[in-house]
Amino acid sequence: MMSAPITIRFYGRLAEAIAPAIAVDGECSVAQLRERLARDHPHVAATLASRYSRACVGDRLVRDDFVVRAGAEIEFLPPVSGG
Amino acid sequence: MSVVALLVEAGLDPRAELGALLEQSAGAGALVSFVGIARPAGRAGEPVTELVLDHHPTLTRQSLEAIAVAAAERFAVSHVRVVHRCGRIAAGAPILFAGASSAHRRAAFDCADFLMDRLKTEAILWKREVGDQGSAWIEPSDADHADNTRWG
Repeated sequence: MMSAPITIRFYGRLAEAIAPAIAVDGECSVAQLRERLARDHPHVAATLASRYSRACVGDRLVRDDFVVRAGAEIEFLPPVSGG
Repeated sequence: MSVVALLVEAGLDPRAELGALLEQSAGAGALVSFVGIARPAGRAGEPVTELVLDHHPTLTRQSLEAIAVAAAERFAVSHVRVVHRCGRIAAGAPILFAGASSAHRRAAFDCADFLMDRLKTEAILWKREVGDQGSAWIEPSDADHADNTRWG
């Protein structure tokens, strides 16, 4: 049986460059997701790799070693710019 | 002590925000406020007609609240007020109001300075300048990050 996909939501320049949301198969760490997304979307690879780009699960920041389970939802926040 | 942190989609009136903060600040000896305004030109001088500020449905408000509370706890201030716009903002229109009142001026100046450094680099918003030639995403400069590290 196939596992449920991971839903990835994007904001700011990542939403514009990739999509507001996509679904990917497989369970993997945040670091692996960053690498996979950078391969698929090389024009925003630098943004995905930036230390100011953060990943969130359930409105909480998660580190690069956090494992995103099948069926889960994760958000990638590019560098923010308020003020 | 009061802390107000709001995200508004329209109708930010800095005069009204200053009035509200003044009204709350009875007994204080100083009030310092900052108003951010959408610039009509980008960093290279290109004309900008509007700013678009994207926000997150929950984290943006939380980030504004966290920054305002941290400022209130860090400085000897009696009131902190942060009101930030999101959405489409015409060049020349206000983007945000940040203000603090205190018994003596230094705490209010430092608090407003801290608020702005944090808002520039930690408020969860994404800013895009729009002009005749298209649009460009804006991110904090190295100087903005350096300013933010002054506070630890």
